[in-house]
Amino acid sequence: MSVSRRGFIKGGAAVAGSLCVGVQLSGCAPVPLPHASGRDLQPNAFIQLSPEGVFTLQLHKAEMGQGTYTGMATLVAEELNMPPEMLNIEQAHFHPEFIDPDFYVMLTGGSSSIRTSYEPLRKAAASLAYLLRSAAAQQLGRDLAEVALRDGKLYHGETVIEPGSVIEAARGLSLPEDVPLKPAVDHRFIGRHNARLDARGKVTGEAMFGLDVQYPGALSAVLVRCPHFGGTLKSFDASAAEASAGVVQVLEVDGAVAVLAGNYWQARQAAGKLTVEWHKGPLAGVSSKGLRAQRHELARSEAGKLVEELGEASAATGERIEAFYDVPYMAHATMEPMNALAVVDDRGVQIWSGMQGLQLVLDAVARATGFSQSQITLHNQFLGGGFGRRIQTDYVVEAARIAQLSGKPVRLVWSREDDTRHDFYRPNATALMAATVDGDRVSSLQIKAVAPSIFGQFMPVMTRTLLPKWLPSIVHDGIGNMMADSDPSAVEGLIHTPYQFPYKRSNYVMQEVTAPLGYWRSVGHSQNAFFIESFIDELAQRTGQNPLDFRLANMDKASRHYQVLTKVAELADWGNAPAGQHQGIAVHESFGSVVAQVVNASVSAGEVRVHKVVCVVDCGQVINPDIVVMQMQSGINFGLTAALKGEITLEDGAVQQSNFHDYQMLRINEAPEILVHLLPSSNPPSGVGEPGTPPVAPALANAIFAATGRRLRELPLRLA
Amino acid sequence: MASLAFTLNGKAIQLDVDPSTPLLWVIRDELAMTGTKFGCGMGLCGACTVHLNGAPIRSCSFPVQAAAGQQITTIEGLIGDSGALHPVQEAWLSLNVPQCGYCQSGQIMSAVALLESNPTPSDEDIDTAMAGNICRCGTYPKIRAAIHAAAQVVQQFDPRQSVQESQS
Repeated sequence: MSVSRRGFIKGGAAVAGSLCVGVQLSGCAPVPLPHASGRDLQPNAFIQLSPEGVFTLQLHKAEMGQGTYTGMATLVAEELNMPPEMLNIEQAHFHPEFIDPDFYVMLTGGSSSIRTSYEPLRKAAASLAYLLRSAAAQQLGRDLAEVALRDGKLYHGETVIEPGSVIEAARGLSLPEDVPLKPAVDHRFIGRHNARLDARGKVTGEAMFGLDVQYPGALSAVLVRCPHFGGTLKSFDASAAEASAGVVQVLEVDGAVAVLAGNYWQARQAAGKLTVEWHKGPLAGVSSKGLRAQRHELARSEAGKLVEELGEASAATGERIEAFYDVPYMAHATMEPMNALAVVDDRGVQIWSGMQGLQLVLDAVARATGFSQSQITLHNQFLGGGFGRRIQTDYVVEAARIAQLSGKPVRLVWSREDDTRHDFYRPNATALMAATVDGDRVSSLQIKAVAPSIFGQFMPVMTRTLLPKWLPSIVHDGIGNMMADSDPSAVEGLIHTPYQFPYKRSNYVMQEVTAPLGYWRSVGHSQNAFFIESFIDELAQRTGQNPLDFRLANMDKASRHYQVLTKVAELADWGNAPAGQHQGIAVHESFGSVVAQVVNASVSAGEVRVHKVVCVVDCGQVINPDIVVMQMQSGINFGLTAALKGEITLEDGAVQQSNFHDYQMLRINEAPEILVHLLPSSNPPSGVGEPGTPPVAPALANAIFAATGRRLRELPLRLA
Repeated sequence: MASLAFTLNGKAIQLDVDPSTPLLWVIRDELAMTGTKFGCGMGLCGACTVHLNGAPIRSCSFPVQAAAGQQITTIEGLIGDSGALHPVQEAWLSLNVPQCGYCQSGQIMSAVALLESNPTPSDEDIDTAMAGNICRCGTYPKIRAAIHAAAQVVQQFDPRQSVQESQS
C-alpha cells in the first residue's frame, strides 16, 4: 500500500500523538473545535449539525453594527438552502480555521469580513450539505442528485429525512476536492435577504454586549491611569478610597491604580478619592499645536519616502500652486465604553468582552498573565461599536491583570472620560498638496503627506502574535520601526487615484512624536480623501471647470469612479440645488469599493447645515442590500461628525477632551436626509463598513466653498 | 444606605442602597437588568433613558432616591404580558433600525415617550425629542422613519379612537 504524503499527514494524528509524548504534550493536542460536541457533525470549524437537527454557525467575525451576524449567516444559509433565520448562531472562540487571509490572525476589521468569507463560508456550508445529502442517498440507495436539502430537511421526492438521523452515516464519508457551490441564478438569499438577524435582541434589550455579562460574585473595577501618554506612576494614597462605601480592594496594576467595589458607582466614587502622583513621561510638554507646526516644518524640510511616481517630472510645466491641509487626532467614541469581565484561577483565564482582535487578545493576555493560550478562553459578545477601537487589546489585558492580581472575578468598566482619553487615535496629519497648472490644464499633482505611523505601533502587536514566542521584545519593536516609514495607511487614498495627470508624485514623511495610534473607521482614507478631493476641487476652480466635469475629464471613462460619479450626479440633480443650498461632490475608492457622494448644504450666519447626501456605491456583489444602505448611511454620519465636530487635542501629552460635551457627536437634528444607490455588479463583494466615510468630508467642504467662496482646508470645518 | 421602594415595570421593588446612587447603576448592578445602557454618565448621550411616570429621564444622572415611590419603566417593561413587542419596537424591527444596537434601548424609550405625548410628531418634533440620544452608528434616518411608521400604528390602535368608532 502506498501512502501519499497528504494522506500520511491527514491520517497520522494517532502516530503524531505518540511521537510527541515527552516533547511537549500541549503542543500536540488536537485543537478542539469551538463549542464542539462529540455528537455533532462538524466537517469544519464554521458549521455544525446536532442530532436534534439544529444547524449552528460559529460567528468568526465580530458583530459591531456592520452586519456580519446577518451577512455570515446569509452565506451559510444559501448553501444549506434554508432561511438564515433558521440558523443557530454562536460567537466563535479562537480557532486556526478562523484566521483572516489578509491579516494572518483571527481579526475583524478592514471591511474585509464578507469579502474574505464569501468563498470559504459558502464552501464550509456546501460541504456539510454534501455530506448530509450523500448519507441520505446511500441510506435510500439512490443517486446523490435525487436528494435535496431544503429548509432544514432532506428530501427524496415526497420522502422526508431528518438531517440529524444521518449524522453517523455522514461521518464516515469523504468530500470531493471541490464541493460545488450554488450558481448565482439559484440564489434565494444572497442579494435578496434584508432582515437583520440581530435586530430583535437589540430592540428588546436582550442582546448581550460585553458590559451586560453576569458572573456570580464579580466585582466592579475601575482603573485610574496616567493621563499623560507614556507616563508612569510615582505614588498613590488609597486611604480615603479604601474607606469609601462598598470598596473591597485598591491595588496597583501595572502602573495604574485599580479600585474594586460591589458596584460600578461605588468603585467610581472611591476612585475619585485617590490621591495619585504621576511622572509625565516622554510626551511632557507636547501639544497638538506644536505637533501641527512640526508637521508643516517637516513638509518643507524633508523629502520623505517616495511612495508613488507616475510619468516624468519634466511634464510638470506651468505655474505651481500649493496648499496645506490638516486633520486632528480622532477618538473612536464607541457608545459602549471599553470593558471586559475576567475570571482568573489556577486553571486559566476566562474573558467575556466585545473584541475585534480575538487572536491578538489571546496572545496579549497570555503574555500579561503567564498562562498559555490553551488555558485562556475568550467569550466574544456583541460590540457596542467597534470602528477599529476594539482591535486593540489594552482593555482586556487590564481586566485580566486586575482579576489575576486581586484574585477576584472582576468586571472592568471604563468611564466615558477614560474612553476619550485613553484611546488609540486616528493620527493627526498634514498634507502639502501641490500641482502645476499650465494654461487651463493641470500638468502634475505632487503630494507630501506628513503623519505619525500607525504601523510603527501596531506591527509589534501583530508580530508578537505571529512570530515565535522566544523572540525578544527588541525584535518586534525593531520590525515596527523598520516598517513605520512605509506605513501604507498614511498614504492610502492619495496613491492609486483615478486622476490621470501627466505627472503624479506622492511622498510620505513620518512624524516621530505622537499619542497612541489606531485604526479608525476608514483609517488613512479618512484624512486622505479630504486632502485629495478638496484639492481636486481647487484645481477645477483654478482651471475654470465644473467640479464634476473636471473630475470626469481627468479619469478613464471605463473606470468604476466614472460610473459612480455619473450616477451620483444624475440622482442628485447636480447643478440644480434647491434655493439657498449649494452642492459639493467627491469620489473615493477604499477597501475595494468606490463611493461617490453629493452633499447639499447651506450656510447662514456662519452655521453649516447639511440637508441631503446622495451616495452611489459600487461594492461588487451585494449580500444584504439593506445592510449596505445602512452602512453607507452610517459611514456618512460618522464622517460628518469628523467633518463638523471631531477634534482630540493634546496638551502636555494628555488629551484635553473628556465626554460628549467637549467631544461632540452628530445628533438627529443635524443628520441629513441620505439617499443611497447600489450600483449593480457581478464582481466579488468588496468592503462596505468603511467606504461610506471618506468622501463626505471633502464633498461637504466643496459645498461650503460653493456656498461661501471660502476654501476650508482643516477638519473640523470651521467658518468662524 | 437607605431602604428605598419604587415600582419597576409594574413590579414593587424594595432595596437597601446608597440613596445617591444613580438609578442606572441600581438597575444594572443591583437588579442585573442590562437592557438599559451606560454611555456617558453625564446625561449627554441618552443610552440610559428610562421612563419616570411615563416621561423620559437619563438614569445615569438621576439619583435613585428621587425614584422613591415612583413608576419606573425600562426597555424590558415595554413588552406586554402576552410577549408582544411595543409598536415602536415593532417599527424598529421591521425597518432594521439597529446596527451595533447599544444605544437603541435609549432611543426606543425616548421615541415611546414622544409618541405618548405626541402621536403625530413632525420631523421637527422628532428632532427636539430625540436630540438627546446619540447614535454613533448614525442610524438617524432609520430612527426617523421608524418613529413615523410607529406613529401610524399607534394612531390605528388608539383605544379612544376604537371606542369612538364602535359607538358611531
